[in-house]
Amino acid sequence: MISDEAYRELEEAVGPENVSREPAVLDTYAWQPFANDNPERWVIRPVAVAMPGSTEEVQALVKALGRHGLKFKAFSTGWGAYSSPTSDDVVQVDLRRMDRIIDIDEKNMYTVLEPYVCGAQLQAEAMKVGLNTHIIGAGPSCSPLASATSAFGVGWDCVYMSYSGRNLLGAEWVLPDGEVLRLGTLGSDCGWFCGDGPGPSLRGIVRGSTGALSGLGIFTKAAIKLFNWPGPPRVETDGLLLDAQSEVPENVRFCMCFWPDRKNQDEAIYKINESELCYIFSRTGLGATISIAAPHLMKHLTGASTLRSMITGDLKYGCTLIMVADSDNEMAYKERVLKEIAKQYGGVIIDLAAAKPIIRMFLMNFLRSTAVPVVFRMGGQMFTALDRNDTWDTQMDWADMGVEVKQKWIDRGGILDDMADNPYMVSYEDNTWGHCEEIFQYDPRNPDHLAALEPLFVEFSLEAVERCMEPLSSTDARLRKIISPMMGHYTQWQQKISGFMDGKRTADTGMYCDEVDFDLQKVDPDIRTRFEKVIEKFSWTEDGPPE
Amino acid sequence: MTVGEIQDVREKFEGTAGPGSVSDDSEALSWYASAGLAEGGKPLFRVAPTDATQVRELVKLARKTGINLVFSSSGPPRFRGDTVPSGEAVIVDMSAMNKVLRVDRRNKMALIEPGVTFSQLKAVAEKAGLRPLMPLLPRLTKSVIASYLEREPITVPKYHWDMTDPLLCTELIFGTGDLFRTGSAAGPGSLKEQWEKGLAQKNPMGPAQTDFARIVQGSQGTMAAVTWATVKLEIKPTIHRLYFIPAEKLSKLVEFSYPAMRRKLADEFFIVSAFALATMIASNPDEIKAIAAKQAPYTLAYGVTGGEYVPEQRVEWQEKDLGELAQAAGVKSTREVPGSSARQMLETISNPSAEPYFKTRAKGSFLDIFFLTTLDKAQSFIDTMRDVASRNGYPVEELGVYIQPIQHGRSCHLEFNIYFNPQDAEDSSRAKALFDEASKALLEAGAFFSRPYGLWADLAYARCPDTVKALKKIKEMLDPEDILNRGKLCFKEVG
Repeated sequence: MISDEAYRELEEAVGPENVSREPAVLDTYAWQPFANDNPERWVIRPVAVAMPGSTEEVQALVKALGRHGLKFKAFSTGWGAYSSPTSDDVVQVDLRRMDRIIDIDEKNMYTVLEPYVCGAQLQAEAMKVGLNTHIIGAGPSCSPLASATSAFGVGWDCVYMSYSGRNLLGAEWVLPDGEVLRLGTLGSDCGWFCGDGPGPSLRGIVRGSTGALSGLGIFTKAAIKLFNWPGPPRVETDGLLLDAQSEVPENVRFCMCFWPDRKNQDEAIYKINESELCYIFSRTGLGATISIAAPHLMKHLTGASTLRSMITGDLKYGCTLIMVADSDNEMAYKERVLKEIAKQYGGVIIDLAAAKPIIRMFLMNFLRSTAVPVVFRMGGQMFTALDRNDTWDTQMDWADMGVEVKQKWIDRGGILDDMADNPYMVSYEDNTWGHCEEIFQYDPRNPDHLAALEPLFVEFSLEAVERCMEPLSSTDARLRKIISPMMGHYTQWQQKISGFMDGKRTADTGMYCDEVDFDLQKVDPDIRTRFEKVIEKFSWTEDGPPE
Repeated sequence: MTVGEIQDVREKFEGTAGPGSVSDDSEALSWYASAGLAEGGKPLFRVAPTDATQVRELVKLARKTGINLVFSSSGPPRFRGDTVPSGEAVIVDMSAMNKVLRVDRRNKMALIEPGVTFSQLKAVAEKAGLRPLMPLLPRLTKSVIASYLEREPITVPKYHWDMTDPLLCTELIFGTGDLFRTGSAAGPGSLKEQWEKGLAQKNPMGPAQTDFARIVQGSQGTMAAVTWATVKLEIKPTIHRLYFIPAEKLSKLVEFSYPAMRRKLADEFFIVSAFALATMIASNPDEIKAIAAKQAPYTLAYGVTGGEYVPEQRVEWQEKDLGELAQAAGVKSTREVPGSSARQMLETISNPSAEPYFKTRAKGSFLDIFFLTTLDKAQSFIDTMRDVASRNGYPVEELGVYIQPIQHGRSCHLEFNIYFNPQDAEDSSRAKALFDEASKALLEAGAFFSRPYGLWADLAYARCPDTVKALKKIKEMLDPEDILNRGKLCFKEVG
């Protein structure tokens, strides 16, 4: 509940037409099934929603909340429970009125934008001037500002366009006390081109591999990097999603490569990345692609043993890449290197130029990351098992492990059968490091599936820790409490940061630094034993990490 | 402190870091007492730990005693003043921690201690078919980790994806005495266990929702000590060619640079003025003047490389495309400039500076002014600098200008070198006056002093009070007793 007085102050801050406490309106924010650990599929309902239209209004709003002991949780474009309240005293700050691309600096390759600008919108504008934007796997409807400042940041284009957190140049940041902090050059009135300094970079508290998910304030503007786009100003496209048909630019190649085994695949991938060939690079299981493109067909195929063994065996080791070039010479070089690598490692390259309808369908789905969200089609819901990104080899190990764990749960009827091998893998920055998350799909109407979610989460988290990797822990206050002592008690440092920046605790820190006891007694005994073993083995002592 | 108190502290430090670890050799200590324009207190003594445990114990001891610790990894000479103590201090000389602990060819990285120099890393990396990413002609004694922590720009902007590059993961000892590891090195597990699982401490972000390496980078030793770090290495090319583009006007080179950077066509990529180029080529003042007189006002140098596969074809593509961009910009590339072939220059910039350090060759000493801006604004800053130089009677043709694109060319490090004869009081005084006035004028014109040493700290931080407020809170969190390089940056009055 929100008091009348507090509500009135919210109205004063953003205008009465931009604030609501109508239950029906609030429930539209509470319906966030993705990444929600509540089987009821509803997150905690905010006590009100407010839609500021400017930085000043965000400041006024945050200050008003501080005065009344309420909390805020920012919502840019939103994607699942990550942008939802974690306690019952939270006002949802919906930033959809702040939707401007303020500037595109063509020469210096960056843009300045507001929170509700989405990836597709930015990409369309950037391509007009020969630039492109990194678009995350969650898709082009997501806010690049939110990814860069506050959330995650992986996408198929990471090989060429890095990771959202590394693409942040400057930011305007409304702190939990309502004051504004401007990062880097912006703070010194020198423009938006650098987010670091003078001296130490405050980007170090903005985020790590994950953002604070609104736990440290609200970002109202950001400068993010743009990247070269040698294609046309507009890729002519008819239709939507998997029914799309795009004109394929002359200087774009779309290839699928298959390798005889993991060893050859991995060697080839290291070489492809070292040779700096790719604009888009991903490894996805063929079964996964079918489950996304044609879920009904997938249900039939899973019973076809020959086909299944072909997909999970002979065609298991494959990758997809898009190459672009600014000149014929560049493309000739790239094509030749790819052929050389394929020859060396026994690979087969399928240049989709020979399959025009297919490449025309897939092109923008990859370039704009449009296809990924259709992963929800198979069962209505999906989730993911994410480890700590590091070498490509470790990510392949994670993928192999993921198949084993998933197959067990597929056999138990806990998740849908997508042939188990459904990794979302990319390489960053020409394989400086790699990424793998194991996707699993489920039907939220199926009680067995809902019951499997928690054990799957626990098992994957354990697998990550046993591999000396940070699991997808940032949003889960229970897991954070377990793994923080194994990683230098990082939560304590996040709590200290929260403490000095947010004395009144106005930000919702449930996904940032709060900790909740993890009742391991409810966990499968074997898993519990393994968990207890790694806790004992890896927990830091006064002397530091166990060596 | 009294003599007795110093002796007491000295004994405690030696007890912590081991017999022979502490030195109060007057000459050695004097190396730390001044650098460039910076002058400070003479250190009480120097202590040289040999491992992280000792470093941590030294920090804990400093917390108890209130002694100011100034960490230093590079050898002399020093120029910027970040390791010149403000008042009484103990120098923690990390140069004895100089092991390359791991080189991983497959994952293109090395794990190194703070005392490792570029020469050392280069030798080890090359054996593995790799190369380090270097700033322009670092001095022979320069620590790799110190350089990266100071965000010195590397000469290959295509590998500079983000400001932290090429620094990856770090082990830190905060001013609280707490040990912390950043990036994927944070664990769980020891380094050995992580290696056994195939990890290589390649992911610099995190752990979780913080990135303390970014806080420590640029902090001039005020937040934490770094006891090791992993760094990016790149493949050693099988073909590596350098080209020059001399130009009368900088604008032509800028016009060439933007599309070349955008397409990540070249490896090395930087612009220098005639005099700066001459200091890289020649070894004595007369020769420098003679060679500088023959150069175009500005020269851009770029490298092209071929790797494992069809290297000739890769080089040909880059050469042709860059040639077309040069033609479009109205400039032409060449393999020679007066005094140096491209091959010689490539050899020069692929190594630390030969002795004497290249910036000291013209007149014996120098002062640098450097900051960040964008390429399209470089000329206006150069105009400002030249104006101030003229007003101060400094020969503008002897100004060094070095423009290093960073972050794929999204911005650049713009550096002016003021050369002077330290034995000539008038010349020194003029250089110092020019340095002061130009620093202020450039700041007023929009220069972003992202690495604020000495005078610049007050100037730069006066412009960003909200940043200062946040930094002071972080400092209080990580170094509550203010024992790490006291008085630097905006931390003159903590709290």
